[in-house]
Amino acid sequence: MSEVIQWQGYLAMFDQDALMIQSPFSLDGAIAFGSDSDYTTMAIAGLHLLTSRGFQVTSLTSIALVNADAVKSATGTEVLSGEEEHQSDWNLLVGEEATLVFTKSLERDLAFHGPSELEALDALFAADIAAAWEAELKSTHVSQGAYVSEAAYLEGANARLGLLAQSKGESLIWPPRQLDAEGERIAAPSQPLLASATVESWTKLSAAGAPSEFALRAPVLGGIQTVFVRFEQGPCGVFLVADDEQYEPEIGDSVSFVVRRIYAQEGLIRYGMKAIPIQS
Amino acid sequence: MVDVAVIGAGQTKYGNHPSGLKGMWAEAAEHAFASVDQDFEPRLVDEAFIGSVAFGGGQLGNTAALLTEHSGMEGIPVRRVENACASSGFALRDAWMAIKSGQADVVIAGGIEKMNDLSAERRRYWLGVSGDTEWERLAGLTFPGTYALMARRHFHEHGSTHDDLVNISVKNHMHGFENEMAHIRKQVSFEKAQSGFMVADPLTLYDCCPTSDGASAVILAADHVVRQFTDDPVWLRSSGAGSDFLALHDRPSITQVRATQQASSAAYKAAGITAGDVDLAEVHDCFTIAELMATEDLGFAQTGEGGVFAREQRGVRNQGDVCINPSGGLKSKGHPLGATGTGQAVEVFKQLRGSVESARQIRDAEIGITHNVGGSGATCAVHVFGRDRA
Repeated sequence: MSEVIQWQGYLAMFDQDALMIQSPFSLDGAIAFGSDSDYTTMAIAGLHLLTSRGFQVTSLTSIALVNADAVKSATGTEVLSGEEEHQSDWNLLVGEEATLVFTKSLERDLAFHGPSELEALDALFAADIAAAWEAELKSTHVSQGAYVSEAAYLEGANARLGLLAQSKGESLIWPPRQLDAEGERIAAPSQPLLASATVESWTKLSAAGAPSEFALRAPVLGGIQTVFVRFEQGPCGVFLVADDEQYEPEIGDSVSFVVRRIYAQEGLIRYGMKAIPIQS
Repeated sequence: MVDVAVIGAGQTKYGNHPSGLKGMWAEAAEHAFASVDQDFEPRLVDEAFIGSVAFGGGQLGNTAALLTEHSGMEGIPVRRVENACASSGFALRDAWMAIKSGQADVVIAGGIEKMNDLSAERRRYWLGVSGDTEWERLAGLTFPGTYALMARRHFHEHGSTHDDLVNISVKNHMHGFENEMAHIRKQVSFEKAQSGFMVADPLTLYDCCPTSDGASAVILAADHVVRQFTDDPVWLRSSGAGSDFLALHDRPSITQVRATQQASSAAYKAAGITAGDVDLAEVHDCFTIAELMATEDLGFAQTGEGGVFAREQRGVRNQGDVCINPSGGLKSKGHPLGATGTGQAVEVFKQLRGSVESARQIRDAEIGITHNVGGSGATCAVHVFGRDRA
């Protein structure tokens, strides 16, 4: 049986140079996504794992269920549709259930043996979350007040999804800024922050007090948790907690970051980093 | 340089006001005009500065033109001032500067917000609009969450506790109980405030200000025209202002508000006073932790000692070192965003003139300040008022 690796909130298995990654949850006997995951977030996690094992994945071919812009911002990997003239040497195969396979060869038989037990999702919870996402994703779901527009989201996508900071003298700046006090433009984000940080404060906001972007899902989740963290290199940030209902933070906890869905509006999913505890 | 006096001030009752923007502003202006000792007519006003966040709509553009048109001041230079919850604190500062510069002799500064005519659904869209939309809002934060992060960190760094916040809530409800203009005129027991519904852990319902409608207005005059209007002016001795990073995570500390420190330092220096000279302070307690931190940032308590200050009841009317929020503050009097700053000035004006309800009059008050904060501390205006000119 392949070794099952817990990775960024997912389960992963290697078969030589091929990788299968799947959700750790099940629903009615089938593998199912958690409350803020989809094929895009899992593809990003898989690419992070491949990179950490020394594989170079500059491009891969996939079907349209994966958001190519988000993958590019988070990993630097180009996602091709398969119709382009230049083909990639990696392929991303999307399973019917919440599984993905990264493979170089489409000819070779792959043999993955996944985990025998998965965490069962509550059926009512899963249905409510799915309904909320469906409503959020409608093009008619619009804001009547403050929200992050597509332009604003895309402007910060590389820094947000890649945790890329600006370098200025000895210090790193994150999230990115425009001009400094001398009126000089600060260079574009290029320095990756270490993907772990320490919790300095946290809160759980009741559903009624949540921003409108979370109005449909916050009641299902029983509120939303946010952590205020400090990275080892200095910058601080605030992040939602991934798989929110499973972790209650404490000051001093170490957390790492995984890409998850943040919210959707007018048909566009905004992805971003969420915090996940580092198991001691 | 010209000195500036407050010659009149008035406001609506805060809460669920039956009128719209025009009616509320007219009511506040009418009270302000009537509070001037000599006959006063709106045509005497040279210029107007009106703070508003424009929460929810109503009249988004050219608000000040509409409101002055409906209060007998059409034709004068006007503008809306927006700095989140500090909008009218900055309107007051702008009005003060207009007189100091010699451009105007009589100016009105005010503020207004209509927050309760929205459906619950629509109101949600306006929660936290003055925080960092791109980074804080996408981390699920509105202001209860932002201030909750500050509170938990303050507890961790300085040993303050939620009971210290409860003391602030109980005090402000006690102060506001006698205030006829207050939104929530209800005393709250320590036990009840201690066990409120959790809004943003560790902040409960009793740590959060209400959502209020309201308008307020203050009339300022240059020293060379003051005697035309009153023999009993309150002097606006100084105005200080500051700003900080919009997002909490960009600031050097989340348990101090640098904008408050800058604003109060500048205002005290210009007025020639120290924090120890202040008799009463209208402090921006949108959340109880905001008042706790402000007592430190304004110099009433040492850094980290805001919890002790609250525990020892040092901000209680006619009992402590200085009366913090004699009006009941935002917690009890209410928080109609754009109206709050000049509403604080209305309270200080009346306290220094001895014209509030007798039960809540501060004895022998000579110097009062207002402290008006935008959002989680990105902007702040502090004003020093005195019975004496300097």
